[in-house]
Amino acid sequence: MSAPEQQNNQDNSTHFGYKTVDKSEKASMVAGVFHSVAKQYDIMNDLMSFGVHRLWKRFTIDASGVRPGNKVLDLAGGTGDLTAKFSKLVGKEGKVILADINSSMLNVGRDKLRDKGLVQNIEYVQANAEYLPFEDNTFDIITIAFGLRNVTDKDKALASMYRVLKPGGRLLVLEFSKPEHELLNKAYDFYSFNILPKMGELVAKDGDSYQYLAESIRMHPDQETLKEMMNNAGFEQTSYHNLTGGVVALHKGYKF
Amino acid sequence: MTEQLMLKQALTLLLEKIINKALSLNINDNTELNGLNNKCLTLNLAELNFPLSFIVYQQQILVNSLAENSDCTITTSLKTLKDLQKNQQLTELIKQDKLDINGDIKLAQQFANIAQNLSIDWQSELAKHMGDIATYKLGRVAKTLANKFDFFKNQVQADSSEYIVHEQKLVVTKHQLNDFYQQVTQVSVKTDTLMQRLDALTKK
Repeated sequence: MSAPEQQNNQDNSTHFGYKTVDKSEKASMVAGVFHSVAKQYDIMNDLMSFGVHRLWKRFTIDASGVRPGNKVLDLAGGTGDLTAKFSKLVGKEGKVILADINSSMLNVGRDKLRDKGLVQNIEYVQANAEYLPFEDNTFDIITIAFGLRNVTDKDKALASMYRVLKPGGRLLVLEFSKPEHELLNKAYDFYSFNILPKMGELVAKDGDSYQYLAESIRMHPDQETLKEMMNNAGFEQTSYHNLTGGVVALHKGYKF
Repeated sequence: MTEQLMLKQALTLLLEKIINKALSLNINDNTELNGLNNKCLTLNLAELNFPLSFIVYQQQILVNSLAENSDCTITTSLKTLKDLQKNQQLTELIKQDKLDINGDIKLAQQFANIAQNLSIDWQSELAKHMGDIATYKLGRVAKTLANKFDFFKNQVQADSSEYIVHEQKLVVTKHQLNDFYQQVTQVSVKTDTLMQRLDALTKK
């Protein structure tokens, strides 16, 4: 268990951005953020990342080694970008479960995918990553893209993912991380705390949610810490790839 | 570094967008795609250090760099692909080891048919955005420029081949050059002998 998580477990508190809140409150506070941004989520993603999030997600798909017939869980799948790709690649024999704790995000995702004609092999489940409502050894691949940092108890969520993965299955965690170079880190900080909330205010009419986004990224474990957390949860051959100078990292781990 | 910049992903994303846009604008129908649902063709190009896989999904083509589930794999170079398009010399290129096909060769032919079947009516597409008159004028300008470019290209080709043919006559051949070297050597031997005789006469 990571040090901050351990400490938080002991005093029953956790982070909500830079604020320390009671564990029981975080889920509803995060839910509030995502209920608020759900409808503008895709537009904001494109604006905030200058469209690069599409490449990060493509990298994740490539790293997943997905095959026709695979069963994939797209956890915290939100508006279904990864689900859409996986659905096409696993084919009729495969299945993709789009799971999200937030009903608003799930509704936006479901509408978007249905509008694209993607219906045959996708199921939608409202689920908390800490208590996944699936049997042991169910999935070949689990992905969680830009979702883990919003989970209250990350260790518990990783253990839950490990449980539902099949032996030989793999977990891919795509998440904001720590830039490798100090100069990039400073530029990224400036962008996150000065420009991002203003863009959120202007486009999504919700600056506070994007202030939370910036703060939650800083509070999220760095590359090595997350790798260690995955090891502690039982994952093997864990590794990570820094993308865009470490602004985002893709962690990968296997269950054997 | 290349991995961090995600060039592979950028290329596959761009290719996927271009191919599917072209398919959506195709004035011929894309019925051939129906029979290829979920089929995967992989291209291993010498110029790229990763494979390009083209997977048919309904009326679209997905592009990625996963080569594991390919129904047909073609290993070649961009230049050979161009030659293949020009001359239809498939067997010859395979014999020369410039092209290697593994798997369902019929699938490769079907993909080639889809590419050949692509025809886009650029003028009507442009007219939707610019209006008929502007498109017509632009079309005429483009046609004139294309004709001039073709003329220029043909002229340059003709001039250069003529230049090469005429200049070739003036260029010293290898045989002539060898003759010249031989004559120089003979003169050199003769001058050496003459020098020796002169030395001998001076001593007397």
